[in-house]
Amino acid sequence: MNATPCSAKDFRSDLKPIWCPGCGDYGVLAAVCRALAAIGRPAHEVAFVSGIGCSSRIPGYTTAYGFNTVHGRALPIAQGIKMANPELLVLVAGGDGDGFSIGGGHVPHAIRRNLDITYIMMDNHIYGLTKGQLSPTTPRGTKTPSSVFGSIEEPVNPLLYVLAYGAGFVAQGVPANIDGLSKLIEEAIRYPGFAFVNIQSPCVTFGEEENQVKNQRARMRPLEAEGHDPTNRLRAMDLAQAYGTALYTGVFYRNPAPGPTYDSEIRRLQGEPKSDAA
Amino acid sequence: MLQDLIIGLAGSGGDGVVSAGESLIASLAGQGYSAMLTKSFGSQIRGGESSCRLRVATGPVLNPGGELTVAIALNWEDFLRFGPELQVGPATVLIHEAKSGPPPSDGPMAGIRPTVVRAVPIEEIAIASAGTDQAKNSVVLGLMSGWFGFASAGLLAGLRKRFAKKGEVVLQGNERAFSAGLAHALRDPLGDAWMLAPSAHSGAGRVIRDGNDLCAAAALFAGCKFFGGYPITPATEIMQILQREIWKHGGSLLQAEDEIAGIGAAIGASFAGRKAMTATSGPGLSLMAEMLGLASAAELPLVCVDVQRGGPSTGMPTKREQSDLFAAAFSSHGDTVRPILAPIDVADTFGVTVEAFNIAETYQTPVIVLSDQEIAQRKEVIEPTDTSRLRLVDRLAPSPEELSSYTRFRFTDSGISAISHPGIKGGGYLAAGIEHDELGAPNSNGTMHARMNEKRLRKLDPLKQRRDLFLVEGDPDAAVGVVSWGSVAGIALEAVRAARAEGISVKVLVPKLIYPVATEIYEAFFASLQQCLVVEQSQQGQLYRILRMWTAVPDEFTSLTRSGANPIAPQELLEQIRSLAQAPASVRPRATSPLTT
Repeated sequence: MNATPCSAKDFRSDLKPIWCPGCGDYGVLAAVCRALAAIGRPAHEVAFVSGIGCSSRIPGYTTAYGFNTVHGRALPIAQGIKMANPELLVLVAGGDGDGFSIGGGHVPHAIRRNLDITYIMMDNHIYGLTKGQLSPTTPRGTKTPSSVFGSIEEPVNPLLYVLAYGAGFVAQGVPANIDGLSKLIEEAIRYPGFAFVNIQSPCVTFGEEENQVKNQRARMRPLEAEGHDPTNRLRAMDLAQAYGTALYTGVFYRNPAPGPTYDSEIRRLQGEPKSDAA
Repeated sequence: MLQDLIIGLAGSGGDGVVSAGESLIASLAGQGYSAMLTKSFGSQIRGGESSCRLRVATGPVLNPGGELTVAIALNWEDFLRFGPELQVGPATVLIHEAKSGPPPSDGPMAGIRPTVVRAVPIEEIAIASAGTDQAKNSVVLGLMSGWFGFASAGLLAGLRKRFAKKGEVVLQGNERAFSAGLAHALRDPLGDAWMLAPSAHSGAGRVIRDGNDLCAAAALFAGCKFFGGYPITPATEIMQILQREIWKHGGSLLQAEDEIAGIGAAIGASFAGRKAMTATSGPGLSLMAEMLGLASAAELPLVCVDVQRGGPSTGMPTKREQSDLFAAAFSSHGDTVRPILAPIDVADTFGVTVEAFNIAETYQTPVIVLSDQEIAQRKEVIEPTDTSRLRLVDRLAPSPEELSSYTRFRFTDSGISAISHPGIKGGGYLAAGIEHDELGAPNSNGTMHARMNEKRLRKLDPLKQRRDLFLVEGDPDAAVGVVSWGSVAGIALEAVRAARAEGISVKVLVPKLIYPVATEIYEAFFASLQQCLVVEQSQQGQLYRILRMWTAVPDEFTSLTRSGANPIAPQELLEQIRSLAQAPASVRPRATSPLTT
C-alpha cells in the first residue's frame, strides 16, 4: 500500500466521546490518530477493534472501520479480521479489565500466534464504566465499591505478562506526552508482528490523584534516558517489575529478529500447490 | 432372500470392529447396494467397547433401522454395554465368539429366545490361519461372506487395499483368516433365506461419505473463506477436513484457544467481508452464546454448525441426541431470532449447509446448522452431490451512490441494509454489539432500540414462507400425521411409507428450517389432522415444545420422544401410526406430555 499524505484529523470521526473531561483516553485518541496519519494508510484500510469499557468506545471516534465487540473478546475478533484480510492494518484497543480479566485467556494466544496486529491497552486500574470497582490492575489495598475494606489481591502486571508470553514489541506510554505516545503507537504498528502498548490512561473520576494526567509528566521516566537497550528482553522484564511504582515510558522490548507472523504463514499455506490430504 | 439386512457388531477397542464395518460397506457399495454404517463407542480414547451397525438394502436406506437381523458379539460383555443401540429380537441371528459363552439373558437379550445361534471360535480361527488374534475381523468378514452372500471378491479387494501398507505378511495372514471364516460358514450354512438379494443398481459413481465430510465440502463450495473453531466430539472432523483444504481456496483457518475465540475470529472474518464458519457441539454452543448475540446485533453473516451429542454438560460426547434445539434457539440474551436449519441425512448435509451460508449472507445473520452425532459420523452410500442446481448468494454490497453517504443500518422495507467491509472506500462504519442508530453510532433511545429490534426480526420473515425447506409426503387429507426432524426424520419417513403401503392414510412433515417457526406451513399441514406425533430424540421433545409456542397445536397432538442413544425403531413408530389410525377419533387417547408424565 502506498502511503498517502493525511493528517490526524482525517482519522477523527464526528462522534463526541462519552469520556469524562480530563480522562486520559482523550490523549490516547489523539495519539492514535496522529500515529495513523504518520503511517499514512487510508482510514478504510484500517480495522479498529475493541471490547467493552470506557476505553473500548475509541473505535467509534475514528474514521477507521470500527468494531465495538463484546467484553474481553476484541483479540479473537481482531485476529479473524487480520487472517481474513492480511492487507488490513488492524488495531485493537481496550481496558485492563477487558484485556487482563475477562479477556486474559486470549492474550497469550494472540501473542504466540504473532499476527501483525497492535494491541493498545488503556490501563486505568479501575472499572470506570460500572463506576469504580476493582480491576485486575488495581493496586492491593485500594478501596473501591467492590472492595470497601481495600483490595486483598495482587494486581496483574500487564508488561511482565506479555513479555513472559513472548510478545515481540512491548512499550508503555502516557497521554500526558501525546507526542511520545503517538510515536510509540506508530512504532508498534510498524513492528512486523504482535505489538503491545500499555498506556497509563488514568480515570479522572474514580482513579487516584497521583496517576492523573497532570501528574504524569513529573512521574514519567523515559527508558531512553535510563539507557535501556530495548533488544534486551531480560532487562526489559527487570524494568517491567517496577509496574505500579516507577512510571517507565518508551519501548521495553523490541525483538531484533522478529519471527514469522501468522499472516505470512497463511500466505505460505495458501501458496502451497497441494495439500497432503488423503 | 433378504432385501434389507441390519448387522450389529461389537467387541473391544482393538478388535477392528469398525474397520470390519468399513470394509463391508465399501464392498457392498461396489455391488450397488444402499447402505448405512453407524459407529458407537464408549468414550475411551483407546480400547473400551466399540461397535458398528450396518444396514444394507436393495432399496433406499433411510435410517440405521431397529432390531438387528444379525448380531455379532466378539465378546458378550462389550456387546451388552450398547444396550438399546444394538437391539436384539427373537428373529435375530446371533453369532458370537465361542469362548465368550452362550448368549446371556440380560441387557438387550432379556426375555429373548434366539432361534438361530452360531458359536464360532473366532479367535482360534484367526490364530490358526493368520498367526495372530488381530485377524479376528477378517474371520468375521469371511463368515459374513459365507452366511449372507456378500461377494468375497469385493471384500478381498478391500482387505488388499487396507493392508497394502502393512506388508505382504500381514495381508496374506488376513486373506487366510478371511478364507478360514468363509470355509467355516460354508460348512455350516444358515440357508438361502439369509442370503442378501442381488441389487439392481451397479453401484457405479456412488461414494461413501459421512455428514461431517459433506458439511466441510459444502462450506468450501459455498465460498467459505474462514473457519474458526476448537476441537470437540463429534464435530472435530469438519475442522480437520477444512484444515487440509481451505488454504488452496484462498481461505484460512484458526484452531482457537476456545470456542469463544473460534466463533469470535469467524465473526471478525465476516466483518472483514469473508464468508465464515465455526463448528462445535453442545458445550461449545453454550460458550458461544454471547458471540451469537453479537453477530445478530451487528448484523454479520455467520454459519455455526452444532453437531449435537448427548447433554446436558459433557453428557455423552459419542452418542446421538437432538437436545440442543432450545440452546440453539434461545441461548444468548435479548429479543433476537437466529435461523436454525437441520439436515436429515448425510447427503442432505451438503445442501442444508450451502443454504445456511445463503441465508446468513442474505439476511446478515448468524445461522445455526443442527447436525447430530449420527448424521455427522455415519457413513452412507450416496450419489455424488449434484451442485448444478444449487445457487450461491453473497451479501448485499453498497452501491457507489450509497457509499457517497453510507448508512450501514439503514431502515429499508426488507429490513436488509447494504453491508460494506474494511477495504471499501467510503464504507467505513462502526459495527457494534451496543445498540446503535442507522449510522452505527451507539444509541440508547427506546424508540431507536424498538425500531432496530423490529428491523432485525422483520428481515427474517420471508424465511417462514420457504416451503422448499420443508419435506411433505403422504396423503394431503390424512387424519394422522407425523412431524420429525434431523437424523430422526429418516425413521419417520420409513414408518410413514410402510404405513401407506399397508393402506393407512397418513402424512409426514419434515422441517429443515427449524427456526423461526414457519407457522403457516405447520398450520396448513395440521389442518386435516386429528392426531399428530412429533418424533424426536430428546427427553422433553424440544421441537414439539417450540411448535406449541408459535403454532396452534391441538391438545391431541403429542410427541414420541426419547433420550439420546436410545434408538426409535421404524417398526415401533409404524405400530404407533397403526394404532392412531385405528382408534376412532372420539376415543383416541389424550396426548400425554413428556413433562407431566
